[in-house]
Amino acid sequence: MKSEILYPGAFPMVRVELTAGEHIKAESGAMVACSPTIDIESKMEGGFLGALSRKFLTGEKFFFQTLRASRGPGEALLAPTVPGEIVILELDGVSEYMVQKDGFLAGADGIVIESKMQSLSRGLLGGEGFFILKISGKGTLVLNSFGAIHKIELKPDQEYIVDNSHLVAWSSTTSYNIEKATSGWIASVTSGEGFVCRFRGPGLVYIQSRNPGSFGAWIRQFIPVSE
Amino acid sequence: MTSNALCFGNDYPASGAPCFVQVDEAGLTITFESEGPDGTREAAPFDALAVSAGGLDHDHLVVKWTGLQGERTLYLKAPDVIGAFRQAAPDHLSLPFAQAAELVRQVRYRRRLVWGLSLGMILSTVLGLWFASDLLVEIAVSRIPVEWEQKLGDSAYRDFLANQEVIKEGLAVTALGEMTQRLTEQIPNNPYKFEVTVVKSDVINAFALPGGHVVVFTGLMKKADSGEEVAGVMSHELNHVLQRHGLERIVKSLGLLTVVTIVLGDQQGLVGMMKQLSVELLTLKFGREQEIEADVTGLQLLQQAKIDPSGMIHFFERLSEKDEGRMEWLSTHPMSTGRAERLKAELAALPKKSPEPFTFDWKQVQASLGSQPIVAP
Repeated sequence: MKSEILYPGAFPMVRVELTAGEHIKAESGAMVACSPTIDIESKMEGGFLGALSRKFLTGEKFFFQTLRASRGPGEALLAPTVPGEIVILELDGVSEYMVQKDGFLAGADGIVIESKMQSLSRGLLGGEGFFILKISGKGTLVLNSFGAIHKIELKPDQEYIVDNSHLVAWSSTTSYNIEKATSGWIASVTSGEGFVCRFRGPGLVYIQSRNPGSFGAWIRQFIPVSE
Repeated sequence: MTSNALCFGNDYPASGAPCFVQVDEAGLTITFESEGPDGTREAAPFDALAVSAGGLDHDHLVVKWTGLQGERTLYLKAPDVIGAFRQAAPDHLSLPFAQAAELVRQVRYRRRLVWGLSLGMILSTVLGLWFASDLLVEIAVSRIPVEWEQKLGDSAYRDFLANQEVIKEGLAVTALGEMTQRLTEQIPNNPYKFEVTVVKSDVINAFALPGGHVVVFTGLMKKADSGEEVAGVMSHELNHVLQRHGLERIVKSLGLLTVVTIVLGDQQGLVGMMKQLSVELLTLKFGREQEIEADVTGLQLLQQAKIDPSGMIHFFERLSEKDEGRMEWLSTHPMSTGRAERLKAELAALPKKSPEPFTFDWKQVQASLGSQPIVAP
């Protein structure tokens, strides 16, 4: 799987090249265009129960698409639903990433996707819900975000504070605690931050430059109210 | 060679360098896959190592040491490597190892405990609501004004009478009027205006609607051996009204959400919904508890009105013996000898009162109904 980001910025696409017989997983609905040699299959990753748990627990799509170059090599164009950047990671078989539920766009066949239950405090206050995706394995992983993606590199024991709704993905060697943004409860609420995640390295944290929830609240005021 | 760990250090990328860790007698040997065909090797003697638990869920073993190239941090997750490391590690590492293992256990235990507790709380709330629903229904019913109940009953009553022949005057009507008066006189603070209607039909039945309409079929009156037996049925039906059993059933069938709405005060939207339900009132079946309640309170009412309560018990017993004919009263009032027995026990517990007979002659009342009384075979 060779991949390349087209039109980097707010409205990117990923061009994925597949050799004959190769197949990749993609978020259902992500395929924009592809060569005639490529077959699109719906596949319930992790079996029916796995797919069901993913659907109900993480809010991810029930089916993943499988794009299979069954009749010779070809390419496919993939794009996410929301405007925002795409990042391509190479997983080495040892690294694991936690990905918030809308972050997954595509992955090579060697990528393993699981639903993982977070601790109660992280689930309640972390902003990603109780269940997140744990992605491991070996191969290319394509993530998407809302807004631009920014990579934060943490050295061992280095700390960084991230607003909870801006998280995209983070490596499992990091750890984080949920904290109030300011010392007082009232200030916490009025500052608009509420809760933040204090990350501790080593590892990588990918954040998105826009907050989907706040964007939704902002756009709601412009939607005409029908009788 | 497959990597089994991530190594962090100043000269490595922040995502960590994949490496292969081997355990031998002297310490750990770390081989990095990225550089050269053989990779570069680094040795970490046991003396230099410090171990702890780390990572997102404290499920990694973190090994730290200062090597020739500066500070190194190793994140191990593979159980076989961790196991071999722990086996080979000298004594000074066993305590940190035990502490790390304890931390992992604590984190897991705490997480299970928190999840268990919160699921338990959710479950107990649901169960509590389930069992408290009867209480909620009672509260909801008590908030519905009597006028609404009467309107509801009125419309059901009109629906029912549309194709029934009503007996408006005669001995039967006066006899039932006398029973009703004697019974209702004994009800303190009675908010209902009871109206008894005699309907010409051979069906052995009688029913009450919310708000105070009581309908008695001539079939029941022909079947009864005495006025006291009919009075027993009447007393039972009146108590369905007084205990607001019909409303309870309606509110229950409307669902918990409606109940909560009524309890919280929004009754307005409910009127329309309840009007639609008025037809269903006619086929309404009361619950077992409601029947028993109406039996017992009915018996007490008879006693207060100085009407011989044994009439009620006799009638029930006769119905339970002969489950035949068009005894519709049976279908909504499941008879059992147990029910009559219960009433006998209740009666025995009540203070004895000398009954006063009715002013009418029951045989004449029955004769006024036209056809021959149905003689029990």
